[in-house]
Amino acid sequence: MSPSMRGTRRMIAVAAVAGVALSMAACGSDDEGGSGSNEKITLKVSTFGTFGYDALYKKYEASHPNIKIVESNEGDLGKYTTALTQRIAAGSGAGDVVAIEEGAIVNFLKAPDKFVNLQDEGFNEIKGNWLDWKNAQATTADGKTTIGFGTDVGGLAMCYRTDLFKAAGLPTDREEVSKLWPTWDDYIATGKKFQAGTKGDAKFVDSATNTYNSILMQEAGEAPGYTYFDRDNNLVFDSNPAVRSSWDTTAKVLDAGLSANLKSFTAEWSAAIKNGGFATLACPAWMTANIKGDGGDAGAGKWDIATVPGGSGSWGGSFLGVPTQGKHQKAAVELAKFLSSPEGQLSAFDEAGNLPSSPKDFDNPALKDFKNEYFSDAPVADIFVEGAKNLKPVYLGAKNQAVRDAIENDLRSVEQGQRTSEEGWQNAIKSAKAAAGV
Amino acid sequence: MTTVIADPEPEAPRKPLRTKVVESNNQLFRASPLNYLVLVLTFFLSVFPLYWMLVMASRTNDEIVQIPPKLIPGSHLGEHVGALFDNPDVMFAKALLNSFIVAGSITLFVVIFSALAGFAFAKLRFRGSNVLIGLVVLTMMVPVQLGAVPLYMMMDWFGIQGTLPTVILPYLASGFGVFLMRQYASQAVPDELIEAARVDGATTIRIFWSVVLPALRPAAAILGLFTFMTYWNDFLWPYVALSPEHPTVQVALSRLSSGYYTDQSLVMAGTFMATLPLLVVIVLFGRQLISGIMDGAVKA
Amino acid sequence: MSDITAPVTPARARSPWRSRLSRWDQKGSPYAFVSPFFILFGIFGAFPLLYTFWVSLHSWPLLGEHTFTGLDNYQKLLQDPQFWNAAKNTLGLFLVSTVPQYVLALWLAVTLNRKIMARTLFRVGVVIPNITSVAAVTLIFSMIFAKGFGLANWIIGWFGLEAVDWTAHTWSSWLAISMMVDWRWTGYNALIFLAAMQAISSELYEAAAIDGATRTRQFWSITLPMLRPTLLFTTITSIIGGVQLFTEPLLFAPGAGAIQGGTLRQFQTLTMYLIENGFTRFEFGYAGAVAWMIFLLVLIISLINILLVRRISGAD
Repeated sequence: MSPSMRGTRRMIAVAAVAGVALSMAACGSDDEGGSGSNEKITLKVSTFGTFGYDALYKKYEASHPNIKIVESNEGDLGKYTTALTQRIAAGSGAGDVVAIEEGAIVNFLKAPDKFVNLQDEGFNEIKGNWLDWKNAQATTADGKTTIGFGTDVGGLAMCYRTDLFKAAGLPTDREEVSKLWPTWDDYIATGKKFQAGTKGDAKFVDSATNTYNSILMQEAGEAPGYTYFDRDNNLVFDSNPAVRSSWDTTAKVLDAGLSANLKSFTAEWSAAIKNGGFATLACPAWMTANIKGDGGDAGAGKWDIATVPGGSGSWGGSFLGVPTQGKHQKAAVELAKFLSSPEGQLSAFDEAGNLPSSPKDFDNPALKDFKNEYFSDAPVADIFVEGAKNLKPVYLGAKNQAVRDAIENDLRSVEQGQRTSEEGWQNAIKSAKAAAGV
Repeated sequence: MTTVIADPEPEAPRKPLRTKVVESNNQLFRASPLNYLVLVLTFFLSVFPLYWMLVMASRTNDEIVQIPPKLIPGSHLGEHVGALFDNPDVMFAKALLNSFIVAGSITLFVVIFSALAGFAFAKLRFRGSNVLIGLVVLTMMVPVQLGAVPLYMMMDWFGIQGTLPTVILPYLASGFGVFLMRQYASQAVPDELIEAARVDGATTIRIFWSVVLPALRPAAAILGLFTFMTYWNDFLWPYVALSPEHPTVQVALSRLSSGYYTDQSLVMAGTFMATLPLLVVIVLFGRQLISGIMDGAVKA
Repeated sequence: MSDITAPVTPARARSPWRSRLSRWDQKGSPYAFVSPFFILFGIFGAFPLLYTFWVSLHSWPLLGEHTFTGLDNYQKLLQDPQFWNAAKNTLGLFLVSTVPQYVLALWLAVTLNRKIMARTLFRVGVVIPNITSVAAVTLIFSMIFAKGFGLANWIIGWFGLEAVDWTAHTWSSWLAISMMVDWRWTGYNALIFLAAMQAISSELYEAAAIDGATRTRQFWSITLPMLRPTLLFTTITSIIGGVQLFTEPLLFAPGAGAIQGGTLRQFQTLTMYLIENGFTRFEFGYAGAVAWMIFLLVLIISLINILLVRRISGAD
């Protein structure tokens, strides 16, 4: 054997050992020890977007010295929900406390055994902490199991650009603007006036889908109390008049050429917020943080907030659940209770602007008197609370998200001018069926 | 990892091919100015998107969305890269390290396992080898996405769910690697050498270590390079399988670009930093990479 | 064939023990050598795939009850217009991206196959796109194809053309996605073709030149026929890659519903449809059926190709 061959062999052996060592190091687990009550335990909280819990974690750790809290956050809701669903189904990997968005919780209610039933953990004594419809969303149809404590609600308002309104000859004061659109038809009429008066390329509204979803939740809340699925989970997309009339109203917005045709949360949509590409935006409380983030310093004072046409609405809002796969379920329930308590929600509002779902907070001066500087000092909480308080509960079927994704796409094809409203509707019926698997 | 591919200079067995290529090179037409124009244009098109990434990474968010666009890099690259590493949610430094561990471990094992199997298929006679090599080719057609869910459950049974081994283990069997090594070994390892070693009483494993592996080094280097690049860039499975505290660099990138508000210049800075290590690799090993691609083509 | 070693006859007499050991070694070693690959593939490749087949015979929502339904999912799939739409898009995108890619790659290979200065620089230049991750490519190109501020619309604006909503139309989205794919793979294929060209004996060209054949004619009657095996090989690779096309169309139009591949599903590929069923609708049974259809598709096309290649190499 030549020296060079031996050299190679040694080299490879060393590399192999190093490789194994590396992958072993990577295995280093982060398991916690036992579950004795005084032992140090780590609770994992999984969230998406911004929940504003940093201050609360510090406070909780201070009063519970044996508990360490680690939050893992994912920016994108869709990806977060997919991963969470997978982990819940696989039976491991989810956090001890997990955030669940309202569109996703219906799906988890199909497998209530995967979550701690909070009714066994004293939920009934504290259920007055949340709006009724909020609790209903997290409870199974038979009313026996509740899998989530409410966090925030997406009480709806209408954000608008005062500079663009002014340039188009429309009023800019939030009271007067609210009076412009008691109904969606008035909103469309205002949009036509805006479009006629504006000088630049700005459009009246960002996209069809936000408008559509806002209208749908209002209409469905009036009657029949559900959207794409009835309470027995039958697909009723084409027979529910609320769906059809929301579609038609949205089509009117599109036919009037009011939409900037920008898909929400894309780079182009963000750019349009910055550049004044559209004048109004259906706006739940948590959206104010987006506008501020995308608009940057240059946008400060250019936005204001009015009431939403139709008076109320909700978009988004979440829950905290405790998966039964967790090792420290009791401790996790306690933490979830703390985070979602009226005080906890207030702290989250302070930190991230998420509107509480607790009626106990609504009259609290800390919320009521809060003025958002970025939005021309609008008394944001007041406006959003109005949007949320009057909302009637709407039942969303287990496959709501899949159907919604599918038919929003059809709506956007109308918005892009690729189909007429009627063609889009016919196709939406097919898409809804495919997405619901019928 | 680099220890394996540190010395990719081919040894004796590859000589014939070399000389043949050089000879035919002598017969080539001289390039015309038009040819140079085509080449320069191609070079420009190849590099431009990466240049554009650098431009966007070094400009502010406001500048990125301006029309007409700014065509030369701005002055904010350092600032964005700094912000990237300072962002605790993204864990970019850890993600870079994780990617090195993942891509490095996969590379090492793939090269060894492929060399072992490739040698066996090329040079050893055994019952069923034809069927087995057919199976190897078949395995190249199985996309990982198809088995994502069962794979996910398995990782849980093994108790390693969410950790780096979940994205290392499924990739250790590379049909492409075995096939490549087989092709290479059948040409680069002379039968006489193996026979001579056998006559000297060497065991098969010893023949592998001392005769075959050194002869396979050029192919091993190429396979290693490709494997490293592939798994450095891998996205879907790590995204699904890894828990948020163990990101790879591509997963960290996606975390940057998703979310309710996106800082495009930060995303581009991240993309730049994720591409940089591979750009370094290509500057260092570009010549070998190219000969690897070209040899693979002729022999396959 | 050269890849089988003749059994070695021991030149010297050995002790029976040693020779038995050596026989075991020669019989057993091949299996030991190939076993790491097959064991690992069995666990992490074959088992999940077979399990997916088992799942595909069920109605298997991610959460909730599983019921055995036999081949129902497959029957439903064959009548599913969204599945066929995805199949059509996959094939269409494959053709739209591969045909120009091959033409360009051949042209580039011919150009590179000359005496040129800075040869390595140009060769490295054309593979640079190939080392860039798909995710990075798509992020960069999405910015270039942005409707409002993208470079592409700015450039077509010079020619007085209207800005294009690149993700909206079939033609524009296919064009953009093909450009991403081609940007990444043209140079790589050019190098493969170049290698094959350099392996062609120069005597053929010399003889042709003596017969007075022009360079163009030499290309058509010598270069191209000699490249046939290589072309078929790269076609297999492209097909396997093409059928699995996923990241580019997914990230091209990000945001809610991205998995549907455009408002008209005009660029939803088969793999996207698989993921949509699995991870948006959470119907693993149906997704499993899609997975197996994709697998069968790749298998059939590849087998046809392998047979073709074998016939052609046999004819040489």
